[in-house]
Amino acid sequence: MVKNITLVAEQAVKTYGGVTALSDGNLAVKSGEVLALLGANGSGKSTLSKIITGLISPNKGRVLVDGRPVSFNTPSEARKAGISAVYQELSLIPDLSVSENIWLGHEPLRFGMVNRGEMHKRTQALLDLFKGLYRPHLQPDAPISSLTPDERQIVEILKAMSFDPRLIILDEATASLDSQQVNRLFELVADWKAQGMAIIFVSHRMEEIFRIADKATVLRNGRTVGDRVIAATNRRELVDLMIEGAGLLEQQRQAFEVSDKPVRLTIDDLKTNVLRGVSLTVHDGELLGLGGLHGQGQSDLLMAIFGAIKSSGRISLSGEELHFSHPKNAMNAGVALVPGDRGSEGLLLIRSIFENMLLASWSSYGTPIGMRKARSDSQNVAQELKMVMASLDAPVSSLSGGNAQKVVIGKWLLRAPKLLLLNDPTKGIDVGAKAEFYNLLKQLRDSGTAILFYSSDDDELLGLCNRVLVLHDGQVSAALSGDDLSRDKLVSASMGTVHSE
Amino acid sequence: MSNLTNRFFSRNPYFLSLVLLVIMVVINRALQDNLFEIGPLNGNLRVFTPAILLAIGQTFVIIAGGVDLSIGSIVSMGTAILATQIPTDATPDMIVRAVVLVFLAGLLAGSLNGFGVTALRLQPIVTTYATSFIFAGVALRILPEPGGRLPRELTTFWRNPLQVTESFAIPTSIIAIAIVILLWVLLTKTRYRQFLYATGSKADAAYSTGVRVNRIKFSTYLFSAFFATLAALALTLGSGTGNPRAGDQMTLPSVVAVVLGGTALSGGQGGIIGSIIGALILGLISNIISFASLDSWVRPLVDALIIIIALAIPALVGLARRAWNK
Repeated sequence: MVKNITLVAEQAVKTYGGVTALSDGNLAVKSGEVLALLGANGSGKSTLSKIITGLISPNKGRVLVDGRPVSFNTPSEARKAGISAVYQELSLIPDLSVSENIWLGHEPLRFGMVNRGEMHKRTQALLDLFKGLYRPHLQPDAPISSLTPDERQIVEILKAMSFDPRLIILDEATASLDSQQVNRLFELVADWKAQGMAIIFVSHRMEEIFRIADKATVLRNGRTVGDRVIAATNRRELVDLMIEGAGLLEQQRQAFEVSDKPVRLTIDDLKTNVLRGVSLTVHDGELLGLGGLHGQGQSDLLMAIFGAIKSSGRISLSGEELHFSHPKNAMNAGVALVPGDRGSEGLLLIRSIFENMLLASWSSYGTPIGMRKARSDSQNVAQELKMVMASLDAPVSSLSGGNAQKVVIGKWLLRAPKLLLLNDPTKGIDVGAKAEFYNLLKQLRDSGTAILFYSSDDDELLGLCNRVLVLHDGQVSAALSGDDLSRDKLVSASMGTVHSE
Repeated sequence: MSNLTNRFFSRNPYFLSLVLLVIMVVINRALQDNLFEIGPLNGNLRVFTPAILLAIGQTFVIIAGGVDLSIGSIVSMGTAILATQIPTDATPDMIVRAVVLVFLAGLLAGSLNGFGVTALRLQPIVTTYATSFIFAGVALRILPEPGGRLPRELTTFWRNPLQVTESFAIPTSIIAIAIVILLWVLLTKTRYRQFLYATGSKADAAYSTGVRVNRIKFSTYLFSAFFATLAALALTLGSGTGNPRAGDQMTLPSVVAVVLGGTALSGGQGGIIGSIIGALILGLISNIISFASLDSWVRPLVDALIIIIALAIPALVGLARRAWNK
């Protein structure tokens, strides 16, 4: 049977307290169509999808399903209308098993009791859709808490499918999947299209949008600013729509001589469980890149310098030999680390922006704390970073992803660090926030801060750094600079094929 | 804690409490020779029953991520109602009416808690602590002083073990608890069980999946109030009289029993079997203390020590393992 649906959202508005998350959201999608929903972080994509799935109710505007206005007050009402969603923040229950999660609320029943045998069988059938693409321990009875992020994402997708929806929203569903799993998902999407389902695809990955979407709706600052047919547009045009005055990562590299500046950091033969002897120097005002495949020791290197993990070898800061045994010592010596996992390592989500920003620097405000100065300092940093927030006293959990990340960086800027360690800081944030972040990095570098910058995005390293060390298997496999710093060399060094030391 | 111990404890959540129960039974048996004879057994279990029922009710609330600090006062209210509504010469009609009345009052009390937590979105601790004073006040209004005497036929039915054959008898309370366990097992096969654990484990995820989180939370306070009323019934039948302060010291032990039984206070885990074991352990501890004829000031100290050690065992095992691995 071919499914049939049209869904239109018109002039949807949603405000949270003083912050407008969505000021004019519009989109339209119909059977057999994949609509890409694009926008920078905080542009209102998630808000608009949540309105469609009934998770939040709009303050104004309306949603039409098959031409009739509807108002979903709860997710189950939207689900009855055939709308199902794969959420970005996973909707899985950690203490329940895979099958219990997938069938939560629509368990197969027998005599009013949950029919576990049937549930198990149906779950296995769903899992078979991703056959061979997950580890064997992913069984219907495995608890969610034992699964890796990509496996949870797969379960989340299967859960949305289990409702047999007419319209499915994939909100950043590919973010934690590997390429094979993404391929499988896209095959499924093609099947769904053939069955007459409508799909709304929310993603940051342009490449994926051009692979599977038919149309694109672009949001900017809570407003729908354009609809395009994918076949008749290009990346440049979409990015321009997403951010005003794009100017992304054009070559921002600057040829400058660092050897005349004093050496800030010297590392000699640093070893940890992962690192097998790494040596490097960073000058003041230098942005030294760390490249290579994921997990080759980049995080270990940064953590070891910061004193967060044990290491052997020599570390000297401004010529003085130091070996930090605790992050506190590193902080006191003017070292700052922006962690990779912001959510779990960098932020106290329920506390205010103000408290989060000051967390690392309370001690410099005396006893009793000089509140007025603390406030004005953090206000200045917030302005410098162009943070969008209701007030300094709003909880961090009220911020969008990009703005939350600015809080983590702002926290360290307040300490005016002399050496800044960045552990893949732009992972999972959108182009708009990235562009601002690059400017910030350049400002810091120009003001004389020494920066050690690990990024999993080769474009960033190529665009921002004068010199890049590529790590492979716990060692520096190449030091690239000048004409050697090219994509080819970067990629081949990541594979460990070049040794140019 | 290491992965292995973690897995062991998550697969056998009752293991520690069972070990502790066995230890308590052995100590108790050493102090009291006739522990396993039907008379003392029936008597002990009858005394433990109200605490067991309260622990069962508390388990529902804690699994869903809340806590109910008013159940002791609901017991007081229940005994006050029963003692005043069932005079010594009560007719069956009066008894039925009194029982209906006491359950209505209990469920009303539970609804008040549920209303505060779900509609008013108050913290469970605050809500139920506040309402506990309301219910305690109602109990004192109904029955200002201990008193009342229930018909002898009623109390003897509850007090004496059920004679199956001439030589074999079962304590009445075991039958009552067995019925409750049976109902629980049936309940764990329904959707309600899924919703209950989902709500306690991650309420917002459950909500976005379409679980009516507020209804589930509300229902747990009805369950705790219902079991508190059953406890009031057991207590009143056991003593034959009413005491408006009977439940004063019963609330916190119910929470301790639940935790001893392996149910996490953070919600989403556990079950009533562990809580029953936990309540039995607490009962045996107080038995042991009274048999050991300790000075009265030592009693709360020993009581507290045993509870703290019991609660700390999983963490201690983990510490020992880590020290061993170093």
